[in-house]
Amino acid sequence: MTEEQKSASSLSTSIIDSNKIFNKMLQLQLIATLVVAVIAVIVSGAHAGVSAISGGLSVAIGAFFASKIAQRRSKEAATVLVNLLKAEAVKIVIIIVLLFIMFKVYKQLVPFALIAGLAASALFSGAAMSKLDKTELEI
Amino acid sequence: MEALALIQAYTGVGIGLIIGLGAAGACIGIGIMCASFLEGAARQPEMIPQLQGKVFLLLGLIDASFIIGVGLAMMFAFANPLLSVVTAAN
Repeated sequence: MTEEQKSASSLSTSIIDSNKIFNKMLQLQLIATLVVAVIAVIVSGAHAGVSAISGGLSVAIGAFFASKIAQRRSKEAATVLVNLLKAEAVKIVIIIVLLFIMFKVYKQLVPFALIAGLAASALFSGAAMSKLDKTELEI
Repeated sequence: MEALALIQAYTGVGIGLIIGLGAAGACIGIGIMCASFLEGAARQPEMIPQLQGKVFLLLGLIDASFIIGVGLAMMFAFANPLLSVVTAAN
């Protein structure tokens, strides 16, 4: 196998792996949101559950669009970095816009449930690092 | 009335601090991580695709505190629990 073939094979393997990682990240975020929503429903009713889901989903939707931008490939480190920073900026803008809409539109919003869903979803995205380590071990 | 104005004023200051300090912390963290990424990419350019996923996940983790701060700030801006206590008492 030539050097170019090796490089292409490595790139395609890493693309598949990054897809797995991003999927795992979104999956973990949705699970965390659902768990918080169930707890919120039990503690303070249906509106709290809807608030928790909306908080978690706003982060998950932002992360979904960000992952689409972050998956763009380039051989230059600077271009990769710019893409990642663009993805993060898009994520933050989407989250802020969705939260603003939720606070303005949903009158029966339970703020603490929304914050709990948001926090769980944002923090659990990092748990996909475990999947990253496993795929690296498999390679 | 004066108590309400005071609460609103201090809440405004608090919101500014939450967002400002959160953004400053996140930016410092992202700056350090991006510098390390560029250094790693310069040493081993073939590792860029592997590092890309890790950097994205860590960006999310670093920004999590800022995003939570923004959520809290929005809660204080749109549904201030401190203000509702005073209005309920009146």
